[in-house]
Amino acid sequence: MAEVGGAMARPLVSSLSVGARIRRFHWAFIVGGTFFVLVCVLLVLTPWIAPYDPADQDLLNRLAAPSGEHLFGTDHLGRDIFSRILQGGRFSVSIAAIAVLITGVTGTLLGAISARVGGILDDLLMRLVDALLAFPEVLIALFLVFVLGPGYGTLIVALSISGWTPFARLTRAVTLEINTRGYIEAAEALGCSRMFIIFRHVLPNAIGPVLAQGFLRFGHQLITVGDLSYLGLGVQRPESDWGAMLAEAQLYMIRAPWLVIVPGFAIFLTALSVTLAGHGLRQSLGRRPPRLLGAIPAKDEPAT
Amino acid sequence: MARFIVRRTIFLLATLFAVSVLAFVMPYFGEGDPARMILRARMGGELALDPAVVEAVRRQFGLDQPIPIQYLRWLEAAVTGDFGQSFTNRQPVGGIVLRALGVSFLLALAALVLATIIAVPLGILAALRSGGRRDSVIVTLTQGLVALPEYWLAPLGMLVFALWLGWLPAAGWTSPISVILPASVLCLRPLAYLLGVTRASMITVLESPYITAARSRGLSQFLTLRRHGLKNAMVPVMTLFSIWLAGTLGGSVVIEVIFNIPGLGRVMYEAVVNADMPVVQAGVLATVGLAIVINTLTDIGYAALNPAILVGESNG
Repeated sequence: MAEVGGAMARPLVSSLSVGARIRRFHWAFIVGGTFFVLVCVLLVLTPWIAPYDPADQDLLNRLAAPSGEHLFGTDHLGRDIFSRILQGGRFSVSIAAIAVLITGVTGTLLGAISARVGGILDDLLMRLVDALLAFPEVLIALFLVFVLGPGYGTLIVALSISGWTPFARLTRAVTLEINTRGYIEAAEALGCSRMFIIFRHVLPNAIGPVLAQGFLRFGHQLITVGDLSYLGLGVQRPESDWGAMLAEAQLYMIRAPWLVIVPGFAIFLTALSVTLAGHGLRQSLGRRPPRLLGAIPAKDEPAT
Repeated sequence: MARFIVRRTIFLLATLFAVSVLAFVMPYFGEGDPARMILRARMGGELALDPAVVEAVRRQFGLDQPIPIQYLRWLEAAVTGDFGQSFTNRQPVGGIVLRALGVSFLLALAALVLATIIAVPLGILAALRSGGRRDSVIVTLTQGLVALPEYWLAPLGMLVFALWLGWLPAAGWTSPISVILPASVLCLRPLAYLLGVTRASMITVLESPYITAARSRGLSQFLTLRRHGLKNAMVPVMTLFSIWLAGTLGGSVVIEVIFNIPGLGRVMYEAVVNADMPVVQAGVLATVGLAIVINTLTDIGYAALNPAILVGESNG
């Protein structure tokens, strides 16, 4: 709806090789992507690089301001904030990553199948997507916590229930466009199976936009994970993630504002890096088929 | 058009039915016996429960009946607005949810109106010279807004504007001033999306032949935009506005908890923490139901403004 009446006639796949396309990346993808890789490396290496044990208490040195000894200060139990940020990030980032992987794969497949098969299946699936669009995510999570109890698994389920819909919409739009191509007709005439066409012809064309969407959704999911953990519905004590750290810190906000600033900044920077990466990737792809990208304004469609 | 409305209404009713079944039945699949949950919620903690008391509660609430019968009873009462009593304070759930929904609606509306007021002019500014420096600054800043967690800005905003500067109340829902801080925090993410859609839709409109025609007739750019451009560009923006309104109704849980606002988000949160089943059921039904109704109305309104949708609808 947002970009109605674009250039329908432009070729979907340019003659450029994959390598040549990669070289044309937008600055935002490079900056965001690099930062995100850096974050991931830090989180993977946490057990070796964390200066203190994140659970070690030092009650004589509680609520200490940032210093050379404790880079980001200490919390109300005298635990080192820097080490806890690293440890907590492992939960926040991994939950968001798993949720994006699950929803990305299912949403993409459902969208492609829906557009290839068409008919009642397509109609029903799109109605389901419309209905799920109206479901507030945090509310679904609240409800699930009520039913299943809080924890890592509940979080992933809660994020996945409606998280696949943007992928399905996107892939469906891409597939509908591909459906009109000559090579699809040729493949059908040769008697290729439905699944073969989807995997051989449709998905390779959809992969770029889906990847960009994946980055953008990752940022969104990371923030939602923090939201639920902040409410105490996510990762449970003694484990902690960025959202839970923020919630704990709020009690000591006046005495030790850095307790609130640091974990929030960690979420913000990580979410910003993936959002930039997704935005940049979309821009780089946009130089090819502008019609396909950002065409569907959904609630969680990123601003472009 | 009539066929379209009928189809959408049937779908709306089917979805509402499905949601009501899920909202009612799901809590029964969770851990624990509802009768014990009621007693725990009333007494506020784990107690050694007398089996006779549990049995009495089970009979009193009709929990010994099969689940479909219980559902029909619940639905029968729910249609008349009776959702039972809260387990914790024994007040009628219908009233609790309705009051809270009103508060949440006001908060969501305030945030979205604020977001629109800022997003639309900025989006138009970006679209007027799309690809230029101003455009890329606005677009990049917008990406930053999407990545800002509300539950981080809210405490920081409280710290700065309420505790340090003392300009605004820190929390509560007493005077119109107490809307300012939560609404400003809540408006940022919708602002980013609204801006994106305004920009994209404005770019499309600016490329259309009727704009070129108006300009070639000698109309100034400002007048062209006011007379021809804005109205057309605003259709997708209004659609997104109502989708966000629907989503924000139940989605502002964290803001309501932080700012101590008696809206539906906080009511639901407390109900979940206290295992207050009737409130959870009615709350889910109310939020999701209202969201679906708003979305259906948006769809119908959109089709009325843009009959091309109907063509696609009858083909697909």
